[in-house]
Amino acid sequence: MSDTYYEEEEFESQFNGQTVMRVLAQGRPYWHWMVGFVVSIGLVSVLDAYFTFLSKRIIDEGIVARNRVVLMEIVTQYGGLILVQAVFVLAMIYLTGVLGERIRYDLRQKIFNHLQELSLSYYSRTPVGWIMSRVTSDTDRIAELITWGILDSSFAILNIMSSAYFMLRINARLAMIVLATIPVLVVVAIQFRKRILAEYRQVRKMNSKITGAYNENITGVRVVKALGREDENMQEFSGLTKQMYRAGYRAAWLSALFLPTVQIISAFAVGAIVYFSGQPAMLGEMSIGGIQAFVSYITFMMWPIQDLARVYAEMQQAIASAERMFSLIDSVPEVQDQPGAVDPGSLTGEIVFEDVDFYYDNDKPVLSGFNLRVKPGETIALVGPTGGGKSTIVNLVCRFYEPKQGAIRIHGKDYREYSLHGIQSRIGVVLQTPHLFSGTIRENIAYGRLEATPQEIEEAAQLAGAHEFIAKFPKGYEEQVGEGGNMLSTGQKQLISLARAVLAQPEIFVMDEATSSVDTITEALIQRGMENLMKGRTSFVIAHRLSTIKRASRILVIEDGKIAEMGTHAELLRKQGHYYRLYTKQFRHQLEQEYDLGRLTGGASPAPAGD
Amino acid sequence: MALPSSTKEFDLKQAIQPNKLAGLWALTAGYKKAYLGATAGQALAALSKTGTYLLLREFVDNILGGQDGAGALLWIALGFIALAIFEGSFTFLSGRLAAYTAEGIALRVRNYLYNHIQRLSFTYHDKTQTGELIQRSTSDVDAIRRFYADQAIGVGRIILLFTVNFIAILRLNTQLALLSVIVIPIIIGTSIFFFRRVTKAYEAFQEQEAVLSTTLQENLTGVRVVKAFARQQYEKQKFDKDNWEKYQRGRKLLTMHSLFWPISDIVCGFQMLGGFIAGSLMAIDGVITPGTYIAYAGLVVWLIWPMRNLGRLIVQTSTGLVSFGRVLEVVREDREPLTSGDFLPNQGLQGQVFFEQVSFEYDPESRVLNDISFECQPGQVIALLGPTGSGKTTLVNLLPRFYDYTTGSLKLDGVELKRYPRKYLRSQIGIVEQEPFLFSRSIRENITYGVGRSVSDQEVEAAARAAAIHDVILKFPEGYSTLVGEKGVTLSGGQKQRVAIARTLLKDPRILILDDSTSAVDTETEAEIRTALEHLMQGRTSFIIAHRIQSIMNADLILVLDKGQIVQQGIHDELVNQEGIYRQIYDIQTRIDVELEAEIASVSEPAWAD
Repeated sequence: MSDTYYEEEEFESQFNGQTVMRVLAQGRPYWHWMVGFVVSIGLVSVLDAYFTFLSKRIIDEGIVARNRVVLMEIVTQYGGLILVQAVFVLAMIYLTGVLGERIRYDLRQKIFNHLQELSLSYYSRTPVGWIMSRVTSDTDRIAELITWGILDSSFAILNIMSSAYFMLRINARLAMIVLATIPVLVVVAIQFRKRILAEYRQVRKMNSKITGAYNENITGVRVVKALGREDENMQEFSGLTKQMYRAGYRAAWLSALFLPTVQIISAFAVGAIVYFSGQPAMLGEMSIGGIQAFVSYITFMMWPIQDLARVYAEMQQAIASAERMFSLIDSVPEVQDQPGAVDPGSLTGEIVFEDVDFYYDNDKPVLSGFNLRVKPGETIALVGPTGGGKSTIVNLVCRFYEPKQGAIRIHGKDYREYSLHGIQSRIGVVLQTPHLFSGTIRENIAYGRLEATPQEIEEAAQLAGAHEFIAKFPKGYEEQVGEGGNMLSTGQKQLISLARAVLAQPEIFVMDEATSSVDTITEALIQRGMENLMKGRTSFVIAHRLSTIKRASRILVIEDGKIAEMGTHAELLRKQGHYYRLYTKQFRHQLEQEYDLGRLTGGASPAPAGD
Repeated sequence: MALPSSTKEFDLKQAIQPNKLAGLWALTAGYKKAYLGATAGQALAALSKTGTYLLLREFVDNILGGQDGAGALLWIALGFIALAIFEGSFTFLSGRLAAYTAEGIALRVRNYLYNHIQRLSFTYHDKTQTGELIQRSTSDVDAIRRFYADQAIGVGRIILLFTVNFIAILRLNTQLALLSVIVIPIIIGTSIFFFRRVTKAYEAFQEQEAVLSTTLQENLTGVRVVKAFARQQYEKQKFDKDNWEKYQRGRKLLTMHSLFWPISDIVCGFQMLGGFIAGSLMAIDGVITPGTYIAYAGLVVWLIWPMRNLGRLIVQTSTGLVSFGRVLEVVREDREPLTSGDFLPNQGLQGQVFFEQVSFEYDPESRVLNDISFECQPGQVIALLGPTGSGKTTLVNLLPRFYDYTTGSLKLDGVELKRYPRKYLRSQIGIVEQEPFLFSRSIRENITYGVGRSVSDQEVEAAARAAAIHDVILKFPEGYSTLVGEKGVTLSGGQKQRVAIARTLLKDPRILILDDSTSAVDTETEAEIRTALEHLMQGRTSFIIAHRIQSIMNADLILVLDKGQIVQQGIHDELVNQEGIYRQIYDIQTRIDVELEAEIASVSEPAWAD
């Protein structure tokens, strides 16, 4: 269970014809299903009204006329139609439901596929929780609208219309009385529904607040106890639950008031029908069965009306959902292949940053006029404080972002002339916090090269120094890593992500070294794995470890988007500048780890500031 | 709308009963009348509904039969309206009372659980997962709410509708009545059978939903990996596989629904039709009047169709019972008494601490602390050093009685610690953790959190200044009102610590527990924090859990712990001259300094040679 509770706002939007058309267009590939379910709905709802009419005939033509033959004819027809209706009910539920699931499936896939194409910049400004809601709750609402929404509303409309038809046939004048109440019922129902929906929204909002309060109080329970904050907390919390109580209670009693109100309004119609049909002038004009039919029609009319109101009230939310979903689908990836992009063939050439400017926000430049020339096979170590621009340089190399001004050239050509896939499939990346996917260890390593044989996977693991611990698991390479790899230790995750990069056989290697400490043996394994990876490859490393830094062909101290210092380890140390300060701190820290001081003191001394 | 006064007093332990239904009934204490009223409302509403059809019978037989005049007609017409108003009012009343009960009980359970959980012991929280507790406090509570709001009352409604209408039909004609209920056991049986399966299929569907969410979330959070390996295509296929599986499970669920409803339609439909045939034949034969037939045709609908839902409600009720059981598991745990204790000092604490052969264990097999003895005077600084799991944290956690020592004697100012109420002790002890937990409220609220009195802005700022965090706070978009956490600013480890120091300064405790508080801080602020800490420690008995020797060289007493025991104690000068862990640590740190100098010297040489 995740520890963060993303609080989702709810939106409502006015009716927008274009959006509705676009929503409906989602059903187009399944138009034959839609035809099927609309036909089924039509038949079921008309039959529903017709059954009442048959009941009337049983009374008038059977009972009152004392005619057994006609009676039997009618009930045979009745029985036959029950079977027919059942078949169409089956078709209606099945088609509507499956179509709904199908549209959900399509929409989710469509959004997901589009998400894969979107650039990193999109992800850096959009919370994951927001995207998740688009894929889950918005697709639900939209599919709901074009399936059950259509079903309920068309059923309701057809049912009311066919009831009206039969009532008009039985007695036109009395039918007019009933029909006059329908608009009243619809308006009342819609008003109720809107209010109930608003209350439920309030309930949901309070509910997520309460969940948040629980979460915080439980995760922070030790602080709460230490500071003796129990009573105040309780007071604050009962403020929340009181609001929740009010909203929940209001929503519930509004719902409880809704049906009775509609019932009472329709009772006036029943009263009127009874009164007028009993008038001496009317006697004989209205049959006994007719009365019964009218009473039934009026009694059961409130269900379709309340369905109609519900669909109407929910439609506004669904349209808002659709608008947000479409905004996601319509967003254009910032980094994408340019027309005529070609596969570079290889990336082993010189990499040149030429007057590169870059910023995430317009007003905060991260790199400005950045120049760098990297020879094939060089290892570049990037060091410096957080926010200095190290990660940006690496992101630009990977073409997660592109320079705003200037260019990055590989083989002398602006890398924007190459295809994204051509570049990214030749770069191996190891991130600071290794990201693993649920599944087996094997699957996670194979992510580097999907078609790799089991033997190649093992070789990669061996090169990365991961084989040993993997082999110790009962299921070896088939061991599950858990969600996000949480069944493994940090060091193990790092080794697996190294193996993954090894397997990819990249031409350029990019690594953001982890700062979190791992035990000495794992550390040594990681070092060896990295060495294997960097051998003969152009590498960019955001470095934290002394050995990595020392091994680099060149060290770049990046501060405020500029190269503050550049040179080899010895050169820079002699300068006694930025690098000197960073290095001595790191040295102390790392040696404490190497001597396993933590074993004696139960914790490491500070990791140097900076990431 | 007023909250019933009983809300606050009810002890949920009263709901612990051998029978869960009895427990749920006990839980309605204070709402019993309301809930019985809700049930009575359902009964009266059912009676009114039945009355409508009986009135219709009167109308058909007497008015349309042409026996009576227009005088009665108006009354009958008004009767219909009156009955509808009765029915509507009682339905509403019942709904409102049920909502009152259900929401009131939910409120009661939520408040109780919140308070209960924050008062459960450290030991309980050590072994319980947050997610698990949250689920019990939210979705399980909601399941209990639904039990009262929909399920129990729904079952009652269906049974009452059946009873009232069945009796009415019995009185109209016994034969017809018995004929009309033949399939009811079948309907209930199938619907229970069906909804049990649907519940399972639905769970499978939900499970797949969770799988799909995980896949999605891992893709979104791992977007860099996906892009770095250019695995978009692969990810699309992976998502498609899970997505398709969800579609398949959804289809399975729908197939079940699309079979159940028409089949039960047929069963119910033919039952009704059977009744119609029998009834109309009786009417033709003159056994019953046309009016009776019409009344029957109306009543029988309310006899048969609601039964389809009974199965659903019964199945749902069982999930409500499961949730209730899960909530009770938490309720069963005992709270930590905060105010029990027979000793409160007249004037403030001095801060003299005396451990004599103190031991602590969670369970007999694993002793966490063993035979701890030492003594310290008010205002002294005691440093604790030792490997992970040596018992340092547990030892200091004994002081605020987060855990109670199992044997030995621990005296504070000469009085046995167990005689002090926990609440008092905790108000006198300040704790600054290595990575303190901050709440998602404003910085100001975090600083004043738990101070227990209203604090002026000046005081807050003074504390923040002393903790070297004031300048940092002013740089935040909204200064002291800036929210901490997801919706506001994310603080670094060092900043969190300084907020905690400011908080502790305001609290002004007699005894201080510090977890080597400067460890995560960058060099620039380290000096400032040292000063802040020294300021904080002045005149207070302080326990420091240390990771480096530099920070404890001046301590009045250093305790070196290993495997729950004190293996060395003394001051720096003594310990450094003894064989043992302390010297090992000291040696390593000295060696590092020497090596660093050597390293720098080694690269410096060529510079001289130049």
